Amino acid sequence: MTAIDTAGRGDAWRRLQFFFDSKVHVRLESLIVLALLCVAMTVLSPYFLSVSNFLNILLATSTIGVLAIGATLILSSAGLDLSLGSVLGLSGVAGAYLSVELEWPWFMAIIGALGSGALAGYINGQLITRTRIPAFIVTLGMLGIARGVALIIAPNGGAIYGLPDIVVYLGQGRPFGVPTPVVILVLTALIAHYVLAYSRFGMHTLAMGDNEGAARATGIPVERLRRELYAISGLLAGLAGLIFMARVNAGDPTAGYTYELTAITATIIGGTSLFGGRGSILGALVGALIMGVLQNGLNLLAVQSYYQQIAIGAVLIIAVYIDQLQSERERKS
Amino acid sequence: MTKLKTVLLASVLIAFGSAAAAADKPIYGVLMKTLANPFWGAMEQGVKAGAKAAGVEYYLQAVESDQAAEPQLNTCNTMLEKKPAVMITAAINSTILLPCLKRANEMKIPVVDLDNNLDPKVTKDAGVNIAFHIGSNNETAGAQGADYVAKKVGKDAKGPVLVIEGLSGNITGQRRAKGFAEELKKVAPGLEVVASLPGDWDRGKAANITNDILTKYPDLKVIFAANDGMALGAVETVFAANKGKQVTIVGVDGNSDAVKSIKAGRLTASVAQLPYLVGKQAVENVKKVVAGGKVDEVIYVPTLVLTKDVLEKGTEPMLKYVK
Repeated sequence: MTAIDTAGRGDAWRRLQFFFDSKVHVRLESLIVLALLCVAMTVLSPYFLSVSNFLNILLATSTIGVLAIGATLILSSAGLDLSLGSVLGLSGVAGAYLSVELEWPWFMAIIGALGSGALAGYINGQLITRTRIPAFIVTLGMLGIARGVALIIAPNGGAIYGLPDIVVYLGQGRPFGVPTPVVILVLTALIAHYVLAYSRFGMHTLAMGDNEGAARATGIPVERLRRELYAISGLLAGLAGLIFMARVNAGDPTAGYTYELTAITATIIGGTSLFGGRGSILGALVGALIMGVLQNGLNLLAVQSYYQQIAIGAVLIIAVYIDQLQSERERKS
Repeated sequence: MTKLKTVLLASVLIAFGSAAAAADKPIYGVLMKTLANPFWGAMEQGVKAGAKAAGVEYYLQAVESDQAAEPQLNTCNTMLEKKPAVMITAAINSTILLPCLKRANEMKIPVVDLDNNLDPKVTKDAGVNIAFHIGSNNETAGAQGADYVAKKVGKDAKGPVLVIEGLSGNITGQRRAKGFAEELKKVAPGLEVVASLPGDWDRGKAANITNDILTKYPDLKVIFAANDGMALGAVETVFAANKGKQVTIVGVDGNSDAVKSIKAGRLTASVAQLPYLVGKQAVENVKKVVAGGKVDEVIYVPTLVLTKDVLEKGTEPMLKYVK
């Protein structure tokens, strides 16, 4: 602590922080937590540090990562989407239903998954902006509705198994050795990062999240923007559903149960404010990776389930605490 | 607004009317965990067939998920308001329904533990009288899985084994995993359980765990998952890693997508519970109890190992109960 406070070093540290915050749009603290976790796992397990295991972690993070991108966009605008996990489940079932049960062509699995996700998000956005019911309630309602519809579509509430090969490739393929879901995650993150950090759409989103009244006064079409954001969030949940479905080769109506909480947690670890106005897509990815690395390490170490829950809970609190310390210091200085 | 009120009033009247009509004839109350699972769907079909054969009426309730413990207690209490002749309950955990079941005892309504979710010791301590417990023996199901593995890979085989447990703390998953691990030690001591991890009944999580363990043990020999959904998640990972020939994968439940996967030569085997038979026998035995007859305190319905061979031959008589 004292070392950091001496003038010279403190400056270098601040400059580094500033660089990451403003240029990379990732908080240095989250990266340090991730790095520390990786070092710890490398020391604890000889199997941790390898390219193939790193790809494993990315693959395991892909669904949560895509959901976290949606959660980041929504939280940045001071909104909330609790339906992410259920919509993930619904879109997988919808895609599998069209291509397996109805035997429509393979691409209908993709269109069905993405379309049902976007539709659910569109309905969320319409309800929130037209009825003025709080987003918490609307998306909580959608959490139940999407899950219920998924269970109704799936025969006997069971999974729809056996998708067309091309669709399965989206989950299990490895172009140039990299799992397809990882490719999808990285591409989606780069696009979303550009949109949130550099585009007018992103600026408007953050402005609306920071102060809705002011944003409206400057002529930002707040309502339309909000509808678009929820539709995008739904579309991303549909994409996550597509990845999940393709990975396990089945439309599973119970898929994604409580994933919305994991996605929102990853988002917050990554430095996005729960109250809007501050958001980072790459940060959310770092947050998702922190949780992915932790889970992977606990599996490699074969840690018993009760202790896993304790470890995961503790790391969450510590990660956000470190971030909090920093914000506090910034406010004081 | 007035129109809405009329509709509401009418529906309330209809609800009361039907409740009153139902009270004339003894009906069996059936409380399940959730219908969001083919297992309970098949159990419901069995109950239906049993009720039809026995000539009794039943009404069935379930909650939104097999983790909604408190809502299940509330549903149970609501069901008692209808004064059923019997309560057949599949409790979400071993304690949650006890207050409701105790009340059922006080109302002289016999209580049946469907699918062995209650612990006879706990119910006795709580002063709850259970007419009988019925279901498959989860430890035996796990052990059957181990016996099959020993037969398949040979009892002298050596290599690492992964066990994917259910939801952390869930008794069903624990019993299956325990039954498997203990039996495996006896029948194939060369196969070593190198990790036993919680898959939380989640296909995706089971796929991730399998990936992680394949990293550490590329020569992984056997995977046992506490249900079929997780086993199928593991199957997809194993085949994506081109290790389909190397790894023997066994699940539990025998549900329809598992059967499809076994037929396609992907999942090696599934220890099928026969929920249809459980539901059917539950109703049949209840009828005996209501008529004043005696039945065993704990009734175990057998489980059946489904393999490609068994499914293709189709000669196994119990196959007709696999729904």
